[in-house]
This record gives sequence, C-alpha cells and structure tokens, in this order.
Amino acid sequence: MSHGRDIGEAIIRPRLSIPGRLGLILLALFGLLPIYWLTSTAFMKKEAVFALDRPLFPVDPTLDNFIGFFQNDALLQALANSFIVSTGTAVLSVLVGGIMAYSLSKFRYRGRNAIMFMFLIGQLIPGALLLISLYLMLSSAGLLYTYTALIISFTTFTLPLVVFLLKGIIDGLPDDILEAAKVDGLSRIATMFQIVFPLVVPGLITAAMFAFMRGWSDLLFALTLAGPDKQTLPAGLTQAFIREGTADWPALMAASLITSLPLAIIFILLQRYFVSGLASGAVKG
Amino acid sequence: MQQAILERPATREATEPTEPRSGRRSTLGAKDRTFGFMIALPAVLLFLVIAIYPLVSSIGTSLYDQSLLTPDRTFVGFDNYVAIFGEFMARLGTTLTFATLATIFPVLLGVALAVLLNARLRGRNILRGTLMLPWLLPGVVVSFLWAWIFNDSYGVLNHLLTMVGLPEVSMLGNPTGAMAAVVIAKTWHSFPWIMVVALSVLQTLPAEQLEAATIDGATRSQRFRYISLPHIVGPVALVATLEFIYNFGNFDTIFVMTGGGPGDSTTTLAVSLYQLAFGSYELGKASAMGVLWLILLAIISSAYLLLNRRLEKR
Repeated sequence: MSHGRDIGEAIIRPRLSIPGRLGLILLALFGLLPIYWLTSTAFMKKEAVFALDRPLFPVDPTLDNFIGFFQNDALLQALANSFIVSTGTAVLSVLVGGIMAYSLSKFRYRGRNAIMFMFLIGQLIPGALLLISLYLMLSSAGLLYTYTALIISFTTFTLPLVVFLLKGIIDGLPDDILEAAKVDGLSRIATMFQIVFPLVVPGLITAAMFAFMRGWSDLLFALTLAGPDKQTLPAGLTQAFIREGTADWPALMAASLITSLPLAIIFILLQRYFVSGLASGAVKG
Repeated sequence: MQQAILERPATREATEPTEPRSGRRSTLGAKDRTFGFMIALPAVLLFLVIAIYPLVSSIGTSLYDQSLLTPDRTFVGFDNYVAIFGEFMARLGTTLTFATLATIFPVLLGVALAVLLNARLRGRNILRGTLMLPWLLPGVVVSFLWAWIFNDSYGVLNHLLTMVGLPEVSMLGNPTGAMAAVVIAKTWHSFPWIMVVALSVLQTLPAEQLEAATIDGATRSQRFRYISLPHIVGPVALVATLEFIYNFGNFDTIFVMTGGGPGDSTTTLAVSLYQLAFGSYELGKASAMGVLWLILLAIISSAYLLLNRRLEKR
C-alpha cells in the first residue's frame, strides 16, 4: 500500500459517478432514517403520535418520556441490573480469557489445538440450544435468578471472542521480554500479571468493552435465567412494554434510547481500537 | 451479533498451524508447558461446564417426558422426536427462509456500501461512523423501533405512504408482511459489520496489480471484475456463512417483533424451542427439537470451517 500511492490512490479510490452517489444516498437514508425516527419519537408527546395529523418531527418536544423512565422502579432496577451484570461479565471475561489467551499464545502443550478448536466451534453455538440444560443445571445448583447465573453464562459466550482477540495481541509481544523476566527471577504468575497484562492494556479494554456490550444486549438468557428481580434492560423493556393493545411508543423509544446510550458511548471510546483490531486481523492476508 | 466483528481475525488465528518459532522451545521447558496448561484450565472448565455439558445433557433430556414445573421425569425413548418431527420440519422451513433472506440482504447492502464508501468522497469517515449506529443497538431496541415504524395504524411507513398518495401496507398483520418485516429489521441491524469487514478487505486491494492492469488498458469494470471481485469474494463468503449461522439461531429480533406470529408464520426454531420450554413447559420435546437442530448446525458449521481453512491456505 505504501508505494505507488498517487496513481494507486486514484485507481483504488475512484471518484463516485452520479448513479453511485444516488445509490449511496439511498442506502445511507435506509441506515439513518430509522435512527432519526427513534430519536424524534422519544421527544414526542404520546397524544401527538396518535393524532390524525401526526408530525414527522417533534413540534412540541417533551422530556416526559425520559422522566417517565426514571420514575419507573422496575425499569430503574433493570438498568442497575444491566450495569452489574455487564460489568461483571466484562471483568470475569477479561480475567479468565486473558489468562487463557496468554496460555495459548506463549505456551505449547498437548491439547492446545483441541482447546482452540473447541473455542472456535463454541462461538457458533446459539444460546437457544443450551437454554434448557443451562436452566436445569443452574436450577439444581441453586443459582437460578441470580446475577451469577447471568454473568457466568454471558462470560462463557464471550470467551471465544475475548480469547482470540487477546491471543492475537499477546502473540505480538516478543518472547525476549518473558525471558528477561525469568532471568530477573520473577515467578510465572508475576510475569503474567506484572509484565504481560500491563503491556496489552488497550487490548484488555477492548475485550472488556465487547464483553460488556454482549451482556448488555442479550435478551434470551435475561428473560429466562434472571427472574423478575435480576433481569437486565432488554428483558425489562420487553415485559414493561409488550402488552395487549397499543403500546406507549414515545415512552418505549425513550427507554430504547436510554438502553442504547451506554453502547454508543463505549463505541465512541472504542472506535480507534476497534478499527485497529480489524486492521490487524481481518485484513491480514 | 456484537462479537462477530472481531471473530474473523480470531478464527483465522485459531486454525493457524502451530508455528515453530526458533528459540522458544529451548527456553521454555516442561515446567513451563505444565504451567501453560494449568492456566488454561479455568477458561476450559467454564466452557466445558456452561457450553459443552449442556449440549450433551440435552440429548439425555430429549429422551424423557419432562416438565419445567415438576422435577420427576419418565423415560420415553424416541417418542419426543416422533411427536415434534412434523413441527420441526415446518419451523426449519421458516428458519431457512429467514436465515437466507436475512443473510443475502445485509451482505448485498454491506458490500455495496463498502464499495461506494471506498471511493474518494468528502465526509466518508463521518458517514462510515454514523452508519455503524444500527449495529450498536441491542437487538430488542432494533425490534421495537421497526415494530413502531411498521405499526399498521400509527406507523411512520404508512403515514409516509399515505402522504404521497400510495396505499397503506399491512406488515405485521399478515404472514408474508411479518416475514418481510423481520428480515428488514435484521438487515438493518447486520449490514454495518459486513460493511466494515468489506471495507477493510477493499483497503488491501493489490495496488500494483490494479496499476499494471490500468497501464495495460483494462477498463474500470474489467478491473473490478477480474481483480477486485476475486479479492473480496472469499472473506465476504466467510462473513456471510457466519451471518447465516447467527441468523439461524436468532431469537430477539423475531420474538420481540412478532412473537412468532401471526399464526406461526415467523416461528423459527429458536422461538419455537423457547415457546415449547417456557410456554408449554415441555422440556423433553424442546430438547428433542434442540438435538435435531444441533445435527443441522454441525453440518453448517463444517461448511464454515472448510471455508475458513480454504481461505487460510490462500
């Protein structure tokens, strides 16, 4: 990519033709108009969206829908649960997955390839397939309807991603560093926590954020393993708003925005790592 | 869906043959190897207990008549399989329809956007960033949003159609419309990550080849046909297979938007399994459905692994 930049640039990145521009505008509208509608409905009054001459933008904007969310105890509890469960998932995933990644990256032992294969397959298993056994298992372990149930379930499903992401990064650490630590008399555990992990902090943060997003977004386990008191926002929203008859759409859109906001913030923080993560892996070859 | 983005680098890494790097084996002895294995155990055990054991134990459950409400169960052999087979085939048809359509459209859309965004364009970074937004939203939010857009009486789609003088459409109220609705919602949720992957692949186009072809007089469409297209086909096929596997197991999009209805027109395997287990409390039958599904998944996953390996070799 570095050479032939001037001519190459023009060939690889041609200017867009008029039909190309029109196509781009159409596709971009499909992508962005629903976001606009989500946001603007959240600021509309309930009567306004059911009126005959309902407007396409919030003419008389209101914050009532957002205030309503914070006055609803069940939703507030779900919001708190979401933070607890997602943070727990992020911490546990990075701890267990980080150690696993270090093992796969810097050590060769029998069974290593089998373990990698297991994780590769594991990320293809849909949650619905495990649901019943997981429910029965957690139930007999007395863990049903606890934060722990959700955290360990989410962590398991996040592990393959976290492990492979971190392995790719730890692979890049030169072995000399580890050998120097050994010569200095550092124990193996200390080498891991004091040398290896501090060197890959950006990777750990990225992995933690992905795990957080995973825990935050899931519906199926939240609906079945958490129970009414421990359920996270996706399950909370589903139960609060799916009722017979008409839903309070502006309130639902406001609640949806609140549910999405932490992920948007994470994405903005993560964007740089996210792109470089792609660049180092997906682009390779 | 979230994990998918980084899965491609991951999976490549995973099937990579163990690289013999000189100097490593000489300094890392048998004790280090034991240590390496020991520290892998927490993750491996967690995975065995939470992911692998449930898969195996569901085979057992599928042979019993077991309810969610009572602990006792009776052995019934393959009765559950006989009982649910017809329903399984019907749900499989629905699942395949959904998974196929909800893969084709995001792939077409994502690749098209990647090609267009790869052009020289003012504001392309901003556009690329904002077009990631749908992918960020939790599945339930996506479903609520599109259910609201498609709402028969007050939805903005029908509102706009009426404004320009077109007849209203009923999406969620009829079987075809409901399937179209969930496919559109899922397409909207998934296209960004396919776009990002396709964009990153486009950025590795062989510049020298393209230049040489230009000098030799190849037209723009010839260059696309013979150089760019073959370059992106492999990675896109891999992403499409992954997307298909995820769509096959999709729960939240459909469950929230249609609940599997109207009738059972959008009841996919995941929704059906959930309803059997947590609606009718028929754990044995639900598990039998899961086992049949698992067999299918094994076949599809093999296709994915083969594709992954073939790309590896290139």
